[in-house]
Amino acid sequence: MPREIITLQVGQCGNQIGMEFWKQLCLEHGINKDGILEDFATQGGDRKDVFFYQADDQHYIPRALLIDLEPRVINGIQNSEYRNLYNHENIFVSDHGGGAGNNWASGYHQGKGVEEDIMDMIDREADGSDSLEGFVLCHSIAGGTGSGMGSYLLETLNDRYSKKLVQTYSVFPNQMETSDVVVQPYNSLLTLKRLTLNADCVVVLDNTALNRIAVERLHLSNPTFAQTNSLVSTVMSASTTTLRYPGYMNNDLVGLLASLIPTPRCHFLMTGYTPLTVERQANVIRKTTVLDVMRRLLQTKNIMVSSYARNKEASQAKYISILNIIQGEVDPTQVHESLQRIRERKLVNFIEWGPASIQVALSRKSPYVQTAHRIIELFGGRKQAFEVNFNMNNDISSI
Amino acid sequence: MDTSSSTLSSPSTPPWNSDRPFLTGRFHQEVKTASRFAETKSHSVDSFSLGSDNPIGCYNAAVQELILIDDLLSALVGIEGRYISIKRVRGMEDDFTFQMDASMDLAIQELAKRIFPLCESFMLINRFVESRSQFKNGLVNHAFAAALRALLLDYHAMVAQLEHQFRLGRLSLQGLWFYCQPMMGSMQALSSVIQKASANNYAGSAVLNLLQSQAKAMAGDNAVRSLLEKMAQCASNAYLSILERWVYEGVIDDPYGEFFIAENKTLQKESLTQDYDAKYWRQRYSLKDGIPSFLANTAGTILTTGKYLNVMRECGHSVQVPVSENSKLMSFGTNHHYLECIKSAYDFASGELLNLIKEKYDLMGKLRSIKHYLLLDQGDFLVHFMDIAKDELTKKLDEISVEKLQSLLDLALRTTAAAADPCHEDLTCCVETCSLLQRLGTLKDDENSRNTHDNDLGEPVNVTGLETLSLSYKVRWPLSIVISKKALTKYQLIFRFLFHCKHVDRQLCGAWQVHQGVRSLKMRGTAIPRSSLLCRSMLKFINSLLHYLTFEVLEPNWHVMHNRLQSAKSIDEVIQHHDFFLDKCLRECLLLLPELLKKVEKLKSLCVQYAAATQWLITSSIDIPSIEESFDNSKVTENSKQLKSRSPSRALKLSSSNTSVTEAILNFEREFNTELQSLGPILSSSSQAEPHLTHLAQWILGVGNEQ
Repeated sequence: MPREIITLQVGQCGNQIGMEFWKQLCLEHGINKDGILEDFATQGGDRKDVFFYQADDQHYIPRALLIDLEPRVINGIQNSEYRNLYNHENIFVSDHGGGAGNNWASGYHQGKGVEEDIMDMIDREADGSDSLEGFVLCHSIAGGTGSGMGSYLLETLNDRYSKKLVQTYSVFPNQMETSDVVVQPYNSLLTLKRLTLNADCVVVLDNTALNRIAVERLHLSNPTFAQTNSLVSTVMSASTTTLRYPGYMNNDLVGLLASLIPTPRCHFLMTGYTPLTVERQANVIRKTTVLDVMRRLLQTKNIMVSSYARNKEASQAKYISILNIIQGEVDPTQVHESLQRIRERKLVNFIEWGPASIQVALSRKSPYVQTAHRIIELFGGRKQAFEVNFNMNNDISSI
Repeated sequence: MDTSSSTLSSPSTPPWNSDRPFLTGRFHQEVKTASRFAETKSHSVDSFSLGSDNPIGCYNAAVQELILIDDLLSALVGIEGRYISIKRVRGMEDDFTFQMDASMDLAIQELAKRIFPLCESFMLINRFVESRSQFKNGLVNHAFAAALRALLLDYHAMVAQLEHQFRLGRLSLQGLWFYCQPMMGSMQALSSVIQKASANNYAGSAVLNLLQSQAKAMAGDNAVRSLLEKMAQCASNAYLSILERWVYEGVIDDPYGEFFIAENKTLQKESLTQDYDAKYWRQRYSLKDGIPSFLANTAGTILTTGKYLNVMRECGHSVQVPVSENSKLMSFGTNHHYLECIKSAYDFASGELLNLIKEKYDLMGKLRSIKHYLLLDQGDFLVHFMDIAKDELTKKLDEISVEKLQSLLDLALRTTAAAADPCHEDLTCCVETCSLLQRLGTLKDDENSRNTHDNDLGEPVNVTGLETLSLSYKVRWPLSIVISKKALTKYQLIFRFLFHCKHVDRQLCGAWQVHQGVRSLKMRGTAIPRSSLLCRSMLKFINSLLHYLTFEVLEPNWHVMHNRLQSAKSIDEVIQHHDFFLDKCLRECLLLLPELLKKVEKLKSLCVQYAAATQWLITSSIDIPSIEESFDNSKVTENSKQLKSRSPSRALKLSSSNTSVTEAILNFEREFNTELQSLGPILSSSSQAEPHLTHLAQWILGVGNEQ
């Protein structure tokens, strides 16, 4: 099966969002909890094989590796109702089960220790695919396993599969509250270095912003992990719709990323999504013209990254590139009009030093998930955000 | 020999029919004149033999009148009497006059002369009836003759009655004149019609037209008009039954070629898939000259009705318009009932055929599947196909194995989302012999041969499979009516353009990935940032172009067409909408603007050249900068090991190659930007005529211009 993508879920956070992601994918493709295709889902015209492969018994298995140094989350998955979905050979839990203790170095070092086992698993998955497109890594950059071991894996992947793309969904820690993990900033910085150098594309998922969105947009007073994770999974699944529901353009990951990333190191992406729901709660029906949705996506409150810099100089922030993925039935003529309006009203600023534009991808939406709205998701690289990241990088070099 | 026997397909007449075709008086006389002298003697023993030798003047007036009445009664049925003779002009069969013995009493002579026109009319009509009953004259003439024959029967009865009166001694010459009066007008009118008809040798619809126009011309004379209308009615009966079969069954039952629809049996329905002009659909059935005036307005409808019925029959559907009592095409009178019948038959046929094609043959599904493959609506198969067929496609034109491509295409289709589409097996691939620009040139020649064949299209010498690959789609009858060869060709042209754009896009993505590969190396002072920006500009160009082509042209137009097809009433409407869609797409996809297209092709070829050169450019520029030890000590590449130990002389050499690399990249950049900028004026100047080009200009140049 062509253009496959292998997902690596590393650490507690990585496995949690990964699991939500697979739940969402199963729902969209009509695959039930045991990996069996539902009867109603046989005629979808979708591409299940990008993220799944079929076992001998027609059972769909995610191309996913579940990796953690402590058994808690993975045991949780193995006891959940989705336990039959995953390939048990693809689950890796460290023997001693002690975790990385929120220590980047520990995770990195342990990663080196188990490199062989994990690379065996990755090689096996890679061999099982016709033309592997790349890897997706889910992790957080604050903890120990996700950051340390994730960093190690990034380097190894880059070394061994230098021709393949590596995309990461990286959860950044909450800056608003002081963490009980003292070394969190160091973990983050050390991981960022590897993300900059060894990943082709990093989708930044900021816990601060996720919390803010959950509180402000979804009116949840105390968002749980599950709720913020479902935001992440929504973004992850939405950003891969063009791969799973083929359309005119962006049918492979390269095409999707190449249009967004101007220079090799400028590969930190921000995302936005509207309309947002958590756990498919009932939502108020909003006006959803294409223009409306596009405009909403440009509002900072809908973007899943928050940075101090952006709050201060939001008006001067400039986009490098924007890709809007619109799902569902859209009158194509509306798209052009909306872009025109956005351009006329100068709702977006673009960088001066290179070609930049809003691109739009129309995508079909899953026929099995009933939503009243069109869903749009935005992928944008934003200049300010990079500056923050590069600043951090420079700090690292001085450490 | 009446009309009922005319259903024989190969009329054969007995020999006596040619010797003496009509068993009537006229021919009897003709035979008689040959042996007149021999016959006259034997005739003189007739009961009426008052001595034909004696001139009539030797009798007194009363006797003269009696003799004349007797002769007139004969003359009324076209037989010469003793004192009335028929004078013919040799060779002119219809030209004759009645003559009387000049010695007759003048008063009687005058009275008799008034009756002669009736006799002449009878002779003409009788002759017409006889001659038109021949097979060759066609059904309408047969029917008309039959109607006239019925009329003549009445006439004969009248003459017989008059003779009876005469025998009883109750008929005077004035009486005869009186009784003849009512017949005079009608017979006169009929004979004038007949004269026209036989003078021009009318057949088929011309006869009907003549009758109708005469009836209209005689509008003042009620009796004559209604008689002529009745004649027209009778004459058209046969014609209407042909029409009925055509309209209700789609069968041309027209042994004498009178019907106004002609069938060209040499055109086969299979030709639709090869014939560029879709001759089958347009010329299989066609209108001939000689449409009866009362059908002139609906002739087109009638033609299509039967055509639709025929299509359905060709599909193996025996469809018959449900015939109810009042749907019989009995008359074409003023109540326009026949028009309603035709209308309802048309509605039925077009509705049924549309239904058949849409539902049973799933037109929309086929179009959608063509859209998936030829318009790349579901482009994932192409990504895979380009992956696996890369080697084959980069070969020279004559080295490409189409079979191999086909099997690769099948593989790509099977393993991607296309597998769910039951139609994917209809997709075949082919390799054209010329580039897209050339093909478009010849297309124009095909359509309007005003262009002379210009060879300045700049045929690239090394055309590879990438420029010439084209997909084809097997379209079966009856869908080939809509998706004809011409339509498919247009789809293919669009596909080839899209395909090449996709190819360029892929190459640039490859170049982008090369850039990605060096991100962990320090690149300050090298040409890499410059190169990656250029790569981005090119990517943006090709993406914008693709975006314009797909989301601005194909998708909205498809949307419009789809809605129109849903509400289309007939298959012709469907064809029209579909063709309109294709033409619009072709135009908006720049394919009809050679000047613009050439520019775009130039830009694309620059992109491809750049992408091909990237690998070399990047690797040679990596060698140059001093790579400091990376933070990651564990990962020391071969490269950096080498570089750590480089000598000053090598640095010198490298820096010179560095400038050459930078030079090369700058060259590409300059050329690309010049081309891109030169696209601007062309776009804006042609956007006067083609408003959609402003969209493209916005996409390609839009944001760049604002800054």
